[in-house]
Amino acid sequence: MSIQDNYLKNKKNIFFSENKDIQSHREKLINIFENNRFDKKNNESLKNINLKKFIDFKYRYLISEETSVINNNQENIYSIVSVNGQCSSFKDDKIEITKILDEDYNDFSKNNTIENNDHFVNLNSLFLNSGFKIVIKKNNNIKIKISNIITDDDLTIFQKNNYICEEGSSLNLIEEYENKNNSISNILNVIKLEKNSQLNHFLIQDNSPNHNLIITSHSSCKKDSTYTQKVYNFSEGYVRNFHYSELIEANSEADLQGIFFLKDNNTTNNKTFVKHLAEDCKSNQVYKGILNDRSKATYFSNTHVDQVAQKTEGYQLSKGILLSDNASYFSKPELKIYADDVKCSHGSTIGPIDENAIFYLRSRGMSKIAATKILISSFINEELSSIDNEQMSEIIQKKLVRYLSKVK
Amino acid sequence: MNSETLDTLDTYSKNKYKYGFVTDIDDEKPKKGLNEDTIKFISLKKNEPEWMLNWRLKAYSKWKKMKEPKWANLSFPEIDYQDIYYYSAPIGFEKKPKDLSEVDPKLIETYNKLGIPLEEQKVLAGVAVDVVFDSVSVATTYKGELEKLGIIFCSIGEAIQKHPDLIKKYLGSVIPPGDHSFSALNSAVFTDGSFVYIPEGVKCPMELSTYFRINAENTGQFERTLIIADKGSYVSYLEGCTAPKRDDNQLHAANVELIALEDAEIKYSTVQNWYPGDENGKGGIYNFVTKRGLCAGKNSKISWTQVETGSAITWKYPSCILKGDNSIGEFYSVAITNNFQQADTGTKMTHIGKNTKSKIISKGISLGKSQNTYRGEVSFLRKADKARNYTQCDSLLVGNQCGAHTVPYIDSKNNTAVIEHEASTSKINEDQLYYCRQRGLSHEEAVSLIVNGFCKQVLQELPMEFAVEAQKLVSISLEGSVG
Amino acid sequence: MFLEIKDLSVKIENKNILKGLNLNINKGEVHAIMGPNGSGKSTLANVLAGKEDYEIINGRINFKENDLFDLNIEERAQEGMFLAFQYPVEIPGVNITPFLHSAINSKRKRMNEEEIDNLSFAKLLKSKASDLGINIDMLKRSVNTGFSGGEKKRYEILQMSILNPDLAILDETDSGLDIDALKIVTDGVNKLKTKDNSFLIITHYQKLLDYIKPDYVHVMVNGSIVKSGGSEIAAEIEKDGFQKFQ
Ligand SMILES: Nc1ncnc2c1ncn2[C@@H]1O[C@H](COP(=O)(O)OP(=O)(O)O)[C@@H](O)[C@H]1O
Ligand SMILES: [Mg+2]
Repeated sequence: MSIQDNYLKNKKNIFFSENKDIQSHREKLINIFENNRFDKKNNESLKNINLKKFIDFKYRYLISEETSVINNNQENIYSIVSVNGQCSSFKDDKIEITKILDEDYNDFSKNNTIENNDHFVNLNSLFLNSGFKIVIKKNNNIKIKISNIITDDDLTIFQKNNYICEEGSSLNLIEEYENKNNSISNILNVIKLEKNSQLNHFLIQDNSPNHNLIITSHSSCKKDSTYTQKVYNFSEGYVRNFHYSELIEANSEADLQGIFFLKDNNTTNNKTFVKHLAEDCKSNQVYKGILNDRSKATYFSNTHVDQVAQKTEGYQLSKGILLSDNASYFSKPELKIYADDVKCSHGSTIGPIDENAIFYLRSRGMSKIAATKILISSFINEELSSIDNEQMSEIIQKKLVRYLSKVK
Repeated sequence: MNSETLDTLDTYSKNKYKYGFVTDIDDEKPKKGLNEDTIKFISLKKNEPEWMLNWRLKAYSKWKKMKEPKWANLSFPEIDYQDIYYYSAPIGFEKKPKDLSEVDPKLIETYNKLGIPLEEQKVLAGVAVDVVFDSVSVATTYKGELEKLGIIFCSIGEAIQKHPDLIKKYLGSVIPPGDHSFSALNSAVFTDGSFVYIPEGVKCPMELSTYFRINAENTGQFERTLIIADKGSYVSYLEGCTAPKRDDNQLHAANVELIALEDAEIKYSTVQNWYPGDENGKGGIYNFVTKRGLCAGKNSKISWTQVETGSAITWKYPSCILKGDNSIGEFYSVAITNNFQQADTGTKMTHIGKNTKSKIISKGISLGKSQNTYRGEVSFLRKADKARNYTQCDSLLVGNQCGAHTVPYIDSKNNTAVIEHEASTSKINEDQLYYCRQRGLSHEEAVSLIVNGFCKQVLQELPMEFAVEAQKLVSISLEGSVG
Repeated sequence: MFLEIKDLSVKIENKNILKGLNLNINKGEVHAIMGPNGSGKSTLANVLAGKEDYEIINGRINFKENDLFDLNIEERAQEGMFLAFQYPVEIPGVNITPFLHSAINSKRKRMNEEEIDNLSFAKLLKSKASDLGINIDMLKRSVNTGFSGGEKKRYEILQMSILNPDLAILDETDSGLDIDALKIVTDGVNKLKTKDNSFLIITHYQKLLDYIKPDYVHVMVNGSIVKSGGSEIAAEIEKDGFQKFQ
């Protein structure tokens, strides 16, 4: 079925399909799909993706009987269970959770300047069927934990969430994606940081092999704000992590990090992109991956420095360890610099586990396999030791142990 | 940025091109434009055998179906292939002159002005030069001495006549005519260029060098160079180029193929100084060059060194296919862009064999309103056990209206292979400038010194005779006035 | 007067660093400035050398009949001012020998002296280097690149002895040197000293002044000179620290 037919057939199950403005925007998107087919040859970001799965999908969505839960037992700590991408409304003096509205949709689709031909974001806009908006009110300091639950097999979730950190606020956000069913989630997070706000965003991904997760984020930072994102991808199913950040006002900072652990036939595609549009901003893009068996990964990183963005500091690092003959890793760390007073750099290494180190450990009596495991842990030690939340650290450790137990 | 830096920049951007004169000489051209007749004309002029003509026509029919590759970060008006002359020769060059007495003195004078004397008593010591003027090779020095060793160093036209077996075997074997539109174009209309064959076990005792000069107006230069280093041989080859100042853009689309057999080594150095256009971006050469080397045999080595300071547009990726086990590929590059120049250059290292190694050192310097992109690909194929790559690309920005971009592609399909890649972009270090000036060096001297230091890793790879020249060229492309 | 600093006030990034500083140095004199960290000693040295990050809000400086502010960095250097940096910067790829060769010739050009040729320069450099216990191999390296702290300082003194300045400013040249190196460096300075040149030695330890005898010692605190006198002041500081001057 063509994308257009798929859309028309399921219109009644899609958000805002009555809204004229949005409808005409969607017609444009459909046109883009028609004219600019998913062309792997000219669009590197489609490398290694099993496109058929995401283009010729059977659209299915239901609002679950189970409702979402918002729990605020401890002060400043909220725990949310979102079901099929939905979350009920909630309001107190610190945060406000609502459905996303037409205007939120429009706001993003009109102002999205950083990357407007990402087909998967366009699919999300076209088939949108869930999502919520969370506003952290001025000068509050809170923690939110969100578990994303999908109730049924064969669901296609197209979810758009908005996060707004108002001036002076600080949010610690942990999102868990641990789905066992055979479905597709295409999630877009639109994140706005107002002046002097801060968001520490953790994404823990651990889906089963037949669950496909496409997660994209667009964050924008105003003056003196900091966005930090850490992705822990232990999924056994396909995950696409594409994260874009714009530093739109002076002295703001974006830090996009990720680690991934692949085995069997699994694939992951990763991309980070930071656009420096103001002075005195900093950015950091660091991804590390371990690839076993026949797994494949790509990582695109990009630091774009606009002409006005003087005194920029931008850093990129990409590292991959290939544990098996049949694994492959592609990385493209890009710098695009139009300002002169900058310090930008990137480093990239891909290779096996250091044989000298293995030899050293074995000469101390360790088995080869034990040595390998120790060296994998030390490869990501920095990422693990920087988690200051004890509970989360424990969760991640467990997942790591599970991954390592499969390393032969 | 302080006012003094700006002043200095200002002098830089008034870069004067010392090779911009025109030689007033009668030339012979076919009609403008590209069609089968043009190709037949060229082939006839060169007195080529039929198989060569057919080879060209086949490439032409491929070209007709192709589009220009679009990956580069370049912008320029569409090239009108029908508005170009594809062949230009000084009159009287149906056959290559036997000796210099047959060469128009104006030509000899031209090369004297360019610092390439052709007269027997003045030739550059230790360097054999093949000189190409527009579409034809006009002279080759030291020919006799090389012949004694069995080395063939002649124009490609001559090689087609005299060594058809080598040509049939190797021409197009590394860059297939259908590779992309510029290689197809070159294969259809190439006019001259150099041919080198180093026999088994011979270490070529001198630098071989070709000097390219575009003189005629509206003329494209499409040279073709083929270098074959047979088992256990060694050769170092240097290419230089200049063109007169003209307001129109001129097209240059060369193809260079290198083949290194077992234990052989080829060192290929380029000092590219085509006319870059004026300070308003008018004129200059469009330089679309395909250079590719095949390390065919075990333990072979190909090393590219380039100093790119000229051309309005540079599109160039000297590459190595590392097929033989233990073979080595190297790429050392300095690219300086000023005014409105655009460069998109880098390399491609394809590791096929076991234990293959490659090294990439790239230094980009952007000034004025120029755009300078490093684009490189390193790939390890499945069988490339224990392959290694080290890449370092650094960019320097002088002035706040230019751009410096780094676009590496890194692809590993082998888990015993190791890739290491580092890159940095920054402006010229103010503390270093201060230090040099505190010791009494002028601002301009200090910049030139620091930039030369920045490029040193690359410049030191050039053959001795040219390293000093290249250093001067670097300073000149920064300074704007000749020394 | 050889060097005259009058009411000098200097700002950096909206912070007042030097506050109405006065200092006079005559030909043939050795002056020492001592002061705690952050008092502005390096700032003074950099302002004298002409570094561009500073905002001069008041005062004037005369150097050899010139208004110093009329000269840019290299002109001051060519007029005979030399600053041995507290933290010499690394310049990768720039070879020491040609670097110093250009430096000395720039100075000679300005003084209308004949330029020194390659060979004589190499000779000069070698002999000065061996005087300072600098290994000849080091002269093949890039400026300050990969040098240890002590090597950098020695190399600054080598440059000083080659360029033979009228006014040499040594900014904490003693720090990072062990006792043997300190002896070599100070020997170098003492050899260079004549009745026609002057030294401004910045330090915050008294140790250095055991080897180089200053004619005057100044105490600098919080951006101005709070006390001047002879070498007895150095002894006082050695005993009691800077506390009592603050
Ligand atoms: N570039 C600069 N930007 C801001 N403050 C500076 C800068 N350089 C020096 N300072 C400040 O100026 C003061 C004096 O520094 P300095 O002259 O280095 O002191 P000293 O050499 O006596 O230790 C210190 O407080 C220092 O932090
Ligand atoms: Mg100091």
